[in-house]
Amino acid sequence: MSAAWFVLRRLGRDRSALIGLALIAVLVLSAVLAPLLATHPDDVFELHPSERLRAPSATHWLGTDRMGADVYSRLLFGARITILIGLIAVGASLAIGVPIGLVAGYHHGWASDGLMRVSDIFLAVPQVVLAIAIAQTLGPSLPNVILALSVTYWPWFARVVYAETRALQKEVFVESTTALGASPWRLTVLHVLPNIASPIIVRASIGMGFTILTAAALGFLGLGPPPPTPEWGRTIAESREFLPDAWWYAAAPGLAIFLTVMGFNLLGDGLRDVLDPRLRRSPSRDA
Amino acid sequence: MRLMALAVRRLLWFVPTLVGLLVVTFVISRVVPADPVALVAGETATPAQVAALRHELGYDRSLPVQFVDYLVRLARGDMGVSLFTRRPIVDDLAHRLPATIELTVVAMIVSVALGIPLGVLSALWRNSLLDHVLRVVTVSGLAIASFWLGIMLQLLFAMRLGWTPLNGRLAGYPPRDLTGFYLLDAVLTWDWSTFGAALQHLALPAATLAFPALATLVRFTRAGVLDVMQSNFVLYERAMGLPPPLIVWKYILRSALTSTVTQVGLLFGILLAGAVVTEAVFDWPGIGTYAVSSILRSDYNAVMGFTVWAGAIFIVVNLLVDLAHTLVDPRERQT
Amino acid sequence: MNHGRSWLALVALLALVAVAAGPATAQTRFVFSNESPYDTLDPHAAFDVGRVAVRLNLYDGLYRWLDNPPKLEPWLAESSTVSPDGLTYTFNLRHGAKFHDGTEITAEDVRYSAERILAMKKGAAALLATMLGPGGTKALDRYTVQFTLIKPAAIFLAVVPEIHVVNSALVKKNEKDGDWGAAWLTNNEAGSGSYRLTRYDPAIGFVATRFVSHFMPWGPKYIDEIDFRFVKEDNTRVLGMIKGDYQGTGGYLPNDQVKRLREAPNVKIVEQESMRIMIFQINNQRAPLNDVHVRRAISYAFDYDGFDKEILGGTVERNPVPIPNNMWGVPRDVKGYSYNLDKAKQELGLAQAKIDRPLTVGFLQGFSQTEQAATVMANGLRKIGIDTKLTSEVWPAMVERMKKPETSPDLVVYWISTYYADPNNWIGEMFHSGQWGTFKASSFYKNPKVDDLLDTALKSTDRQVRDKAYQEAARIVVNDAAGVWIYNTKYFGPWAKNIEGIRFSPIGNGQEVRWLHY
Repeated sequence: MSAAWFVLRRLGRDRSALIGLALIAVLVLSAVLAPLLATHPDDVFELHPSERLRAPSATHWLGTDRMGADVYSRLLFGARITILIGLIAVGASLAIGVPIGLVAGYHHGWASDGLMRVSDIFLAVPQVVLAIAIAQTLGPSLPNVILALSVTYWPWFARVVYAETRALQKEVFVESTTALGASPWRLTVLHVLPNIASPIIVRASIGMGFTILTAAALGFLGLGPPPPTPEWGRTIAESREFLPDAWWYAAAPGLAIFLTVMGFNLLGDGLRDVLDPRLRRSPSRDA
Repeated sequence: MRLMALAVRRLLWFVPTLVGLLVVTFVISRVVPADPVALVAGETATPAQVAALRHELGYDRSLPVQFVDYLVRLARGDMGVSLFTRRPIVDDLAHRLPATIELTVVAMIVSVALGIPLGVLSALWRNSLLDHVLRVVTVSGLAIASFWLGIMLQLLFAMRLGWTPLNGRLAGYPPRDLTGFYLLDAVLTWDWSTFGAALQHLALPAATLAFPALATLVRFTRAGVLDVMQSNFVLYERAMGLPPPLIVWKYILRSALTSTVTQVGLLFGILLAGAVVTEAVFDWPGIGTYAVSSILRSDYNAVMGFTVWAGAIFIVVNLLVDLAHTLVDPRERQT
Repeated sequence: MNHGRSWLALVALLALVAVAAGPATAQTRFVFSNESPYDTLDPHAAFDVGRVAVRLNLYDGLYRWLDNPPKLEPWLAESSTVSPDGLTYTFNLRHGAKFHDGTEITAEDVRYSAERILAMKKGAAALLATMLGPGGTKALDRYTVQFTLIKPAAIFLAVVPEIHVVNSALVKKNEKDGDWGAAWLTNNEAGSGSYRLTRYDPAIGFVATRFVSHFMPWGPKYIDEIDFRFVKEDNTRVLGMIKGDYQGTGGYLPNDQVKRLREAPNVKIVEQESMRIMIFQINNQRAPLNDVHVRRAISYAFDYDGFDKEILGGTVERNPVPIPNNMWGVPRDVKGYSYNLDKAKQELGLAQAKIDRPLTVGFLQGFSQTEQAATVMANGLRKIGIDTKLTSEVWPAMVERMKKPETSPDLVVYWISTYYADPNNWIGEMFHSGQWGTFKASSFYKNPKVDDLLDTALKSTDRQVRDKAYQEAARIVVNDAAGVWIYNTKYFGPWAKNIEGIRFSPIGNGQEVRWLHY
């Protein structure tokens, strides 16, 4: 517990990490309190064709979209979808990737190589393309997007965990614990996991940002949740035919995505600086 | 020697990895609910006609048989024929590859030409206004959705200001096909108006693609330079009285470059992945749009062909980067 | 130092430049930006409006649809006769009409073309095959062609323009493994049309130059070179029109874009009533949609005015019947359904079938109007307590799904354009139970009375008999609420201001360049 306190205090001194935390808080609050904060909560599915494409005004803070619905209100409800996708996809990737990385890192030989090469397979094709293929095959919907993203992101966790596990094996305390007769599982759970928790947390935070961007790209291409879902990427795609006149229609969801992802990235950077000073020294591979 | 062992080991895995990729893609592409054979037969075809076409194309055989047949042909360099264009996939890919490469290369040049100097300056003038501005840019670079950035650039430069065209690689017919790269071909045929037009069309998509790459480069160059600046031998040189510009040039820049080289693999990954979405926004006739439209049309062969190509390149690049990384970071040599 | 010789060289160079530049500046060009790709030049492989420019400009048929309301004009044929039993059609070809390679067009070429369409089983083949079988076409002599139909079909003459005549000798020369020259004709042309192909790239489009010896006389002014290009994005085509890069583009743009074009100084909008209806097909075979009360409820739940007047800005006409308003065969007194949630709920109350699942509403990827229509429908259904699930496919994939009642969505929204100007193109192909498995018949409607009426209309050549039959069939189908019919499209064609001679027909959409001039 004192370790957590230590981390938080160090984090508190990092200004950009705090900004990141604030942005994330805004996102979460928007999502949770959407029905309260929205000026036109019904516009998630309600249409007002006669009010379409109005510029931002006192009644419609961010204007109206092609169906006359309030852009601001739909944006807030879109935050719910964004968080849902991010949390579940990253959580699932973690659940898949960490065990695989652990097993591959602990063992040596062809089996371990094999597992890492499997992860290479998933990294070989641009993640976006793989996600598109999966989403298109299964059909555009929210669960399928989450599935597609989980399937394509787990290798990042696996790689990090693999590298850290291998590095830890060289550490003296691991060797001595093994010499003392500790079983592999005991070793893993009690000693290895706590040490690799830091890179996993960092990777998860950065992964949130990355996943949200890819989810938005899928929504943009029409492979995300179907209309009238107020998903941010889909909204941007809808807005294109009304540019340049209805610029607010495209600008608002894009800014929302930007601020959200920035929040997670800043937090991730801050966490990395605090939790793993070692990583700060050499530019390591990550995304 | 360890390096050799690592290289050999990774190379041995190349083929199985590629085959594994093919299996995954094969399964995905054949699981599609839509029936591409029927799509090709056309909207007015009867079920009997569709069945006949399916037999003609060999899609009524069992999946494992089809897969083995595909592998055999692949070994001969035959990726099959696109269900839609009825042209060999190899031709389709070759036709569209230059477009993506031209875009990616221009984006890479822009990001490197701007990124490295800015990264160095940012480190040398630490905590200056420039540094702060750049740090905001680098953080934004990886937070902006590239398709949104592309749309915003279109909105400003093409629609509002009219400085660049909206999308596409060129309006109309390309210069004579010598290399497939419009810029190069235009120069070689002394066609300067086409050169200018091609450059104008490249401006926005290259900028969109370069932005995240630029951000990454600035960031890592900055970190690399900072590292070197704090290292012992630089302090020694300064204590010895070497003029600062010489130090910068001789040691810092070189170390910065070395660390950046290992980032090339990452850069390549960002650019290629970004290319898919950027091409979609700008209607760029490259591999990215080919992949997306093939997937959307359930063009089995084209999807497989693209995967083989992209997969092979990525695996090779990853290998090279791993090797380079090992060369640079002695710690990694032991794993 | 021989100045004389260098002067001579300079003069020669200038002369060369003048000669090269001279005729080029006198050439008139017309550039058209199209929303579909010209992925094949084979006139027998495609039947759709998206690629009609290839067929109209590079090829000729026996007859041609011209103007609005569309009239069937003799083209390669000078005249035709029908036997009294309606089974034999004889066409007399004009003499001296030439292909682009100089050879004369004969009845053998027509025969070959008809057989080719049937053999390749693409494009208009499915439609033609219902009336004409292989071997049914005969060249009686050099200039006379005879078609013997399988059964009398009143629409045969209307469909004849789709038999584009190809140069049989040329195509046969390029046949490979009995493919009827399919591989070659995809990238080349063997036609006789007003323009001959000079350049083609399936990713870009095609360029063609005027065929001076075309059998139709050219006016005093004409276009020398045509350039048809595939430009996917609406915005790019609009910007291109405004900048003058294109002199024409497709006339079914979203209303907001049309408004922008109206304001452009060098663009004019040609407004015409077209024949292209937007519809929701209802899967009549699947519960709960097999209950007429459920279908009526759905018909009352769509906000027609909100969609037509607000979202589309009043640029379309409400079309309550599955035949375009401006076609004959429409029962003029039928008002159809309107947006009335009370009536909708009433009908639901009368329904036997229970609605215990969300209804799937399909729209087309890449056609945002269908997406918006689907959203409006979903909203209306939600208001009467019916849940929906929206699903989208690219057009070819949706066509695929619509061929079987098991895979077709509950509701699908798309357009039915004019393939030939006859009510059968719509109501006949949409609601005859024999048409199941075609994309127009995804209503899977089966009513023997309607089948009878439609058959009568197809068999008879008497316009009055046919008119009555279609009107009655339409009445029944509307009463049965077999589908939802939203609007008939208006054509708003953007053209360069200085283009004259535009001849619009709902089939050709004005893309026949031989009539145009500056």
